[in-house]
Amino acid sequence: MRAAVLVACGLLVGTASMFAHHSFAAEYDGSLPVTVSGTVAKIDWQNPHIYLYVDAKDDQGKVAQWKFEGYPPNMLVRQGWRRDTTMKVGDMITVTGWRARLDPHQGAAREVTFADGKKLMAGPPAGTGGQ
Amino acid sequence: MPTRALTSLVLMVALAAGATRPSLAQTTAPKPRPVPRTADGKPDLSGIWIAGGIALTFGEAEARRIQEADKAAGRPAPPPREPPPYKPEADKKRQEYLARRGIDDPMARCLLTGVPRITVRPLPFEIVQLANRVIILYEIHHAFRIIPTDGRPHPDDIEPSYLGDSVARWDGDTLVVDVTGFNDKTWLAGVGTIHSEKLRVTERYRRDTYDTIIYDVTMEDPEVFTKPWHQQETFRLRPGERLREYECIENNEDIVRWEKLLDTEFKK
Repeated sequence: MRAAVLVACGLLVGTASMFAHHSFAAEYDGSLPVTVSGTVAKIDWQNPHIYLYVDAKDDQGKVAQWKFEGYPPNMLVRQGWRRDTTMKVGDMITVTGWRARLDPHQGAAREVTFADGKKLMAGPPAGTGGQ
Repeated sequence: MPTRALTSLVLMVALAAGATRPSLAQTTAPKPRPVPRTADGKPDLSGIWIAGGIALTFGEAEARRIQEADKAAGRPAPPPREPPPYKPEADKKRQEYLARRGIDDPMARCLLTGVPRITVRPLPFEIVQLANRVIILYEIHHAFRIIPTDGRPHPDDIEPSYLGDSVARWDGDTLVVDVTGFNDKTWLAGVGTIHSEKLRVTERYRRDTYDTIIYDVTMEDPEVFTKPWHQQETFRLRPGERLREYECIENNEDIVRWEKLLDTEFKK
């Protein structure tokens, strides 16, 4: 199974935005977008954020586990997610989002693309503050 | 002309007209639904509403649909946001909180957030309007406010609290809520928007259409502001929606990482 990690730097995306309970910029860097393709290793379907764990190979073929923070369940279900149905351990997915400031293998998820091409929002756009 | 021939002629003209002109139903916009009223004649604010973050909670397509509907209806844009009119010392504190990117946000510790911030979170809330009180149920924090509308004053034993104490009266078709008795542990409307226990908030709820409530809020605090701070939001009715559970404290591991950030990046 081929998996790859693509990391790209770009311009700050979006304006001030928020998760349900904290500012984006507190923990994530909106100037560092990241795209990770790999296999779902674990899903923590919980509040105040879900966490997706994705095993992905870097350019040298070394596998690393990424941890992505997303919306809480009450927001995800309103955008079409269903626990244990939408995403399962072992699924191949691509997550786009932004890098965390501390952990090099953590990110804020924005969108998940599934193997069949379907896309779902998983978290807010990057922002510099909070409301 | 015999009756049958006349009828046929009228029918032919009608059909011809129908073939070349749009029907009445196509040219006339549907009549807007009137604002519902309660038995005592007051506008009924009851329903599930959301103020902020529609794109976040319901998706970007839904946010675009509402934007286009506003445009088609000729709905005026809300007034531009006023910056908080802080005194220099309070503004200095706010700038420090902004520089720390909101890491100190009390709400990020899953603490109950106050008025008006609780209203503009990207989660719905339900207004239940009864004859002698209005109840607001917020999805965030499982919070609720019970707001008497029977003319009673604030009680005389208020302890400072996150949501304060609310009483309301009707000013014509506008529900005016007076909120006082706050603690100083919340932010008002964004990162670093601090206040003191002298905060007084006046909320004005006006259901201007079936689908919308205009929410005007004034925040007064002589300790931190040079003048009252006004904000306006539009609530959107969410037919068919229901409040869901959001238990913020379940696994709030962000704060563990933020302690690390405070120890490194912001160590004094």
